[in-house]
Amino acid sequence: MNAVAPNSQTRPEMAATEAALPQSPEPGVAALRSPAGSDGPGPLAAWDYSGYPVVPARHPWRWVGTGLVALFVAAILWSLLTNPRWEWDVVAQWFTAESVLRGLGETLKLTAIAGTLGFILGFILALMRLSSSPLLVSVSWTFSWIFRSAPLLVQLLLWYNLGYLYEKVSLGILFTDVRFFEMQTTTLISQFAAAILGLTLNQAAYSSEIIRGGILAVDQGQLEAAAALGIPAWRRSTRIVLPQAMRSILPTAFNEIIGLVKGTSIVYVLAYSELFYTVQVIYNRTQQVLPLLLVATIWYVVITSVLSVFQYYIERHYSKGAVRTLPPTPLQRVKRFLSTHARTAEVAR
Amino acid sequence: MNQPAVPVLEPGATGTRGLVEIKNVHKAFGHVEVLRGVTLTVHPGEVVVILGPSGSGKSTLLRTINHLEKVDAGHIAVDGDLVGYRARGGKLHELREREILAQRTHIGMVFQSFNLFPHLTAVENIIEAPIYAQHRSKGQARARALELLERVGLSDKTDVYPRQLSGGQQQRVAIARALALEPKVVLFDEPTSALDPELVGEVLDVIRNLADSGTTLIVVTHEMGFARDVADRVVFMDQGQIVEEGTPLQIFGAPRHERTKAFLSKVIEPAFNL
Repeated sequence: MNAVAPNSQTRPEMAATEAALPQSPEPGVAALRSPAGSDGPGPLAAWDYSGYPVVPARHPWRWVGTGLVALFVAAILWSLLTNPRWEWDVVAQWFTAESVLRGLGETLKLTAIAGTLGFILGFILALMRLSSSPLLVSVSWTFSWIFRSAPLLVQLLLWYNLGYLYEKVSLGILFTDVRFFEMQTTTLISQFAAAILGLTLNQAAYSSEIIRGGILAVDQGQLEAAAALGIPAWRRSTRIVLPQAMRSILPTAFNEIIGLVKGTSIVYVLAYSELFYTVQVIYNRTQQVLPLLLVATIWYVVITSVLSVFQYYIERHYSKGAVRTLPPTPLQRVKRFLSTHARTAEVAR
Repeated sequence: MNQPAVPVLEPGATGTRGLVEIKNVHKAFGHVEVLRGVTLTVHPGEVVVILGPSGSGKSTLLRTINHLEKVDAGHIAVDGDLVGYRARGGKLHELREREILAQRTHIGMVFQSFNLFPHLTAVENIIEAPIYAQHRSKGQARARALELLERVGLSDKTDVYPRQLSGGQQQRVAIARALALEPKVVLFDEPTSALDPELVGEVLDVIRNLADSGTTLIVVTHEMGFARDVADRVVFMDQGQIVEEGTPLQIFGAPRHERTKAFLSKVIEPAFNL
């Protein structure tokens, strides 16, 4: 039924046009003539529109749609602001509390360290996976396979309980009694170390695939040209391939980093006092569950927003040369919008 | 041989640089034999144009010279140095990647699809290899790059990204990039095939200049006019073998082989029959 609809709509129109044509004395010319009511030229008249200002086309339905959406947004805001159960005063009270800020700092620290280490390890894993050595390829593949398969929660608990599996960690010569260094596992693997280990290894497994995808997207001719010029392999990867791969890596990589920001909340299972754990501790004491979850959420929104701004400018940086002219920054866009709209408003008047 | 009347592009190239010897080279991709015993000697300063239908192995032959393709059998040497191998104790030892890269700096290559690095400006494209493959100073490499850009007629485009250039301009930057290493021989793999007809001329002019300067050039092309004017020797390949070779006058004027005649009649005559 739906598939037929466009046809059934077009046909009557076509019929109408066909019916209209024979009525005009010269069918060929009638088609060229401007619509009735306009002061356009006849078919053979000399014409000159150079003095005419252009009136932009109007979009009334666009305005209706915008109005409806605005109304809807206003309704949501209204309920958020007026429903007392959101307890905004409690949110405000805890939002900048010292313990919450300390938790926020821990969250940022975990994200920064695990994100950086994860992507560095991921880059190495991606290069291994793309190398021609079967050993490196299979090690990289197995790493990704294991760390993408095991739930992050399990990985974290496993690292934290490593002391149960191996009492001591030591550095020495294999199969001999020579030891250079020995330590109790439980002292070595603190909550922080377990959190960083778990998050980093997990992140590396995912980012290696993202980076590999980006590298594969770079034209083979680029590598060939670099090889033909005798540019060393490491320089080829970092200067020629990676910057071009960045264009396809960045959007997904920022997805991952933003995911990691919130993913750090999972380390609450280690009783590590990052943002989410801190908030939990507070609401277990005060019973103000929703407002405190809101505190955490707003902070996550703030971090994500800041990251999005970074993403915009970093992506813009790496699009150098890929587009003929760089897209304007938001600030430039606002300026342009204001200036063009001021002009069209004048013209319309 | 093309005597360098006025050294326009590469004054450094002398008569003793750029001897390319190809001996009985075989190469197969899977079951497809692409090169079936090719033997060819290109003398220093000589300009050799390789013609032939697509799939005849021209490009593959070119790519074996700088070891982008490894040969299955046979040997290639540039100025007496075996490409990709070292002879020692009656055996051929494969070179390590670093050594192969060093060899490649003596062999310039220009690609059909330019393969400029799109995220680097024209001058950055050119200085990359001299700095990181030949360990020259940045200032020295840059001065030389500017000189080369001027010689290919693009001194106003130094800081422009490849996408902001026309195809012909991009290929001229690519030629400058290949020359920045001061190679003994420059390989051209259909350098004008990806260009609009009206841009072909500007690239051919640059190559012609280079030919006059006495650098050894091996050019795979479909530009018959260029082959006739610039080549010292024309080599016709078909099905992985060299069918016929000779001066442009011999090949274009009186081809001996049926296969060459058939190919040339297809490529040249339609243009004249217009």
